[in-house]
Amino acid sequence: MALIDVVNLSKAFGPKVVLSNVNLQVQEGESLVVLGGSGTGKTVLLRNIMGLLTPDSGHVAIEGKIIAQLKREELFEVRQSIGMCFQMAALFDSMTVFENVAFALRRHTKMTNGEVTARVEECLSMVGMKGTDKLKPAELSGGMKRRVGFARAIALKPKILLFDEPTTGLDPVMTDVIGRVILDLKHELGVTTITITHDLKSAFEIADRIALLFRGECIACEPPAAFKVNPHPVIQQFLRGDADGPFLQDPPPPKRKTQEAHS
Amino acid sequence: MVLTFFDKTGARVLGALDLAGDFAVLAGRTFAAVFRRPFDGKNLLNQLQALGVNSLPVVVLTSLAVSMVFAVQLAFGFRQFQAEGLASQVEGLAIIRELGPVITGLMLSGRIGSAMAAELGTMQVTEQIDALECLATDPVHYLFVPRFLAAVVMVPLLTVISIYVGFWGGYLILVGVEGQSAYVYGNEFYKLLAFRDLRIALIKALVFGMIIALVGCWKGYRTQGGAEGVGNAPTSSVVTSSLWILISDFFLTKLLLV
Repeated sequence: MALIDVVNLSKAFGPKVVLSNVNLQVQEGESLVVLGGSGTGKTVLLRNIMGLLTPDSGHVAIEGKIIAQLKREELFEVRQSIGMCFQMAALFDSMTVFENVAFALRRHTKMTNGEVTARVEECLSMVGMKGTDKLKPAELSGGMKRRVGFARAIALKPKILLFDEPTTGLDPVMTDVIGRVILDLKHELGVTTITITHDLKSAFEIADRIALLFRGECIACEPPAAFKVNPHPVIQQFLRGDADGPFLQDPPPPKRKTQEAHS
Repeated sequence: MVLTFFDKTGARVLGALDLAGDFAVLAGRTFAAVFRRPFDGKNLLNQLQALGVNSLPVVVLTSLAVSMVFAVQLAFGFRQFQAEGLASQVEGLAIIRELGPVITGLMLSGRIGSAMAAELGTMQVTEQIDALECLATDPVHYLFVPRFLAAVVMVPLLTVISIYVGFWGGYLILVGVEGQSAYVYGNEFYKLLAFRDLRIALIKALVFGMIIALVGCWKGYRTQGGAEGVGNAPTSSVVTSSLWILISDFFLTKLLLV
């Protein structure tokens, strides 16, 4: 049985269909990377997995438990085994880094203060943020916030980690740092991960399988080597990063020659 | 044309019912969550400080100003038919029954209700409320309950302070300016009042506290649309809670004075 099972998942907001009959299975310990253009429903997929949204049809099951059918208390129990890393980190801005990472430990465990402090330090050092525990989120850079978000997500030792565009808006060096942190977490914790990213370099490093969402549908889900040579024109266009092709619904502006653009 | 009118009216009625239902569900969830574990004492103390202690200056100043203005009007009015002595009696009646709880309620809906809506609204648009959900924490339990309890405790307490300040506001005008006897003012202020009036004032303050906290949290929790949404949430919270304070004041007065 797959640890995460997405079955015929569909979700629309008004007339806009965001996900249409998406099927994905993620095995325990596996790392799935979900690629796709902006607005193709990648974040909506993660929010359905976390139970933050309810599917219009189909379902998401974690360890066989159908998320949308769980009572609130049962859903909270399942969520304790999932760590969610938000795109903009979503740190609690009234709390320090320490309080952010310690939040779930204080609410869901009977750890003593000493144990909580030790666990927070362990989590912060795993993401290379040791010594920042007294800082407030406003004093951190974008990359630091993401890493503190990772530390908060792993505090309860979850089985599953979900990363929502962890490198968006970061410079290439910080993007590489975040990619390495995700790889380290994957190897050190042995967790099952779903990562949404636009960064192809880290996607190919992290992934056991890569899925591509296109207009709400999952058009491919296969190992990186097979994904790279998949002849589907949308996949090849996405890998090339070219504006011309079937990927965009509206035609892009015409490409000008470089000399013409400078004159 | 006629169909369009009925369509629009029907859509508005359904929209209003939808909003009322949403508020009722969240209010019910808040009441149910009050007794749920874990009890977050530190969070509650922070809210008692933010809602109560920090609101003291604004409540004292507005209560003083309103009670002084009211005393000036009463003194002027009763002087028209040589009944200055009644001014302190009516001052006491008005301050304890109406001005104390209503002025406190309206001021706090502006100060703390708007702050709740802005804070929760910002948390909503920056995904902090989703983060709470993902950390297996019920936002209603973690965010609503401490604010609700703090408002339920602090609004009645601040109302008592407002009534006390109102007494001295009237004293300043009627004794200090109009030259009434301090002893007479002290006795006359309470002459038309019974213990029941203080009880009514406290019940009103309790209800106003609930309205302020629930509306403020609800408006913040349902914030959508980024900076514009966060900007609208406090305004909407203040308007809604002020309206409900005034409407519930009428019904509470009718109900409790019978």
